[in-house]
Amino acid sequence: MRKLILIALMAIACWYAVDSANAAELRVSSNAVAGQPISITASGEGDGTLYLVGPGQVIKRSVKLGNDIQIKGEELRTAGRWIAVVRSGGNSQSQAFWVKPGQPENINFLARPSRVPVSQQNAISGTVFVFDKFNNWVLGPVPVNFSLSVNGAGVNRTITSHNGVAWIQTSSASRGGAAQFVASVGTASVRRVIEQVASQPCNLRMHLSQRTQNRIIVETDPVRDCSGNAVPDGTIVTFTQSEKKGRSTVDARIKKGIARAELPASDNAMISVAAGYTLGNELHVGGGQ
Amino acid sequence: MTGAMKRCATKAKPARILVLTLGIALTLSGAVPLLMRLLADTKPNVEINFDTAGPRQVEDTTQKAILRDYTSAWQAMVTALANNNAGPLRQNFVGFALDRFTQRIKDQQSNGVKTKIIDHGHKVDAIFYSQDGSAMQLRDTASIETQVLDGDTVIHSDQTQIQYWAVMTSAEDRWKLRVLESLPMQ
Repeated sequence: MRKLILIALMAIACWYAVDSANAAELRVSSNAVAGQPISITASGEGDGTLYLVGPGQVIKRSVKLGNDIQIKGEELRTAGRWIAVVRSGGNSQSQAFWVKPGQPENINFLARPSRVPVSQQNAISGTVFVFDKFNNWVLGPVPVNFSLSVNGAGVNRTITSHNGVAWIQTSSASRGGAAQFVASVGTASVRRVIEQVASQPCNLRMHLSQRTQNRIIVETDPVRDCSGNAVPDGTIVTFTQSEKKGRSTVDARIKKGIARAELPASDNAMISVAAGYTLGNELHVGGGQ
Repeated sequence: MTGAMKRCATKAKPARILVLTLGIALTLSGAVPLLMRLLADTKPNVEINFDTAGPRQVEDTTQKAILRDYTSAWQAMVTALANNNAGPLRQNFVGFALDRFTQRIKDQQSNGVKTKIIDHGHKVDAIFYSQDGSAMQLRDTASIETQVLDGDTVIHSDQTQIQYWAVMTSAEDRWKLRVLESLPMQ
């Protein structure tokens, strides 16, 4: 009985030894970079199947054990944690390995807002995420250049990305127009357009344009902001006429830079003008005035 | 009379045991897949620390939305990779992350491979919240158990901690995962 048990144990040990000898041992390069070739060594003999399971890819192919297996650069596109498995004769050997991103060649640029009043403090923000050519996120420090200009004049700043992100916050220019907001890393460049529009009206002034027996026509001077930019047509200007009998209000839109209102004639009235939170001058209408 | 009853009871006993065993087997056959399905659809445990975010402070409503949508994104990814179905990804992913996982599922399908992820939880720090409130960067320490299956055969299994860096951006009605990159634990 003892002999029988001994023989059985020896048979099991031999079977295990043969099986272990046939099993593949995996070695993967430790400095793999996306887009660059690597070699994988699977020890053993005979045929096997290699599986490479990556963050955005899965590769499966037949391989000869005992030879170096070459993985082309274009096959290894995604950075992150990969799992290499070699299967042969019902046995699997596996190893996890890391693929780093390549050189920065691509950026994602978020720029806000698309339209902003002029001369606003810290009103414009830009955020850049840096990627390699396979769109793997590059988390190492990368200098990112931001430029914001209207008609060639503006700001230019270089920010080094931290954990894959570079951001900037800046004020809008004093002159209106389409600002070119450009972020660039190396040769990669992304442009956004930010429309800088006039701010609130400034120095709002009106005058009596016409006066008849039944009506008074008042109109503003060209309506501009404090930087001299024309306030866009369509902006509402409110004219208010106050007299003993009561009050008349007219909301007029700026047309071709000027707002105009027709008010009832009066012998003694005060007319005021306002746009947004800007108050303009007042006119006294009455008697011979 | 008593003897006849005893004989009858003795004969009936194996039959009862058989019926009982069959009943239990039937119940288990229905309950186990149901339980597995329920466990698979369970939301992962995600904790997010928003105190580390800058330059903008994260609003309460945004904190709740990010927690909900990041959790939902992981749940969708686990389901999509296990079933080789990109459908759940579209509601939760956008941009590079959507492209990447969609491609992986295509590759899995063509090679007959599936990936089963058993998610043991995430400890997340919000790192960056953009001034305009449209993008948030997260650093996630995840405890993940990964099984790679060829057909129904498990060819690889491991459990490890992985650091993920993520970017979420605000979309039409939710935050979506735009970038998800894994790094070795530092």
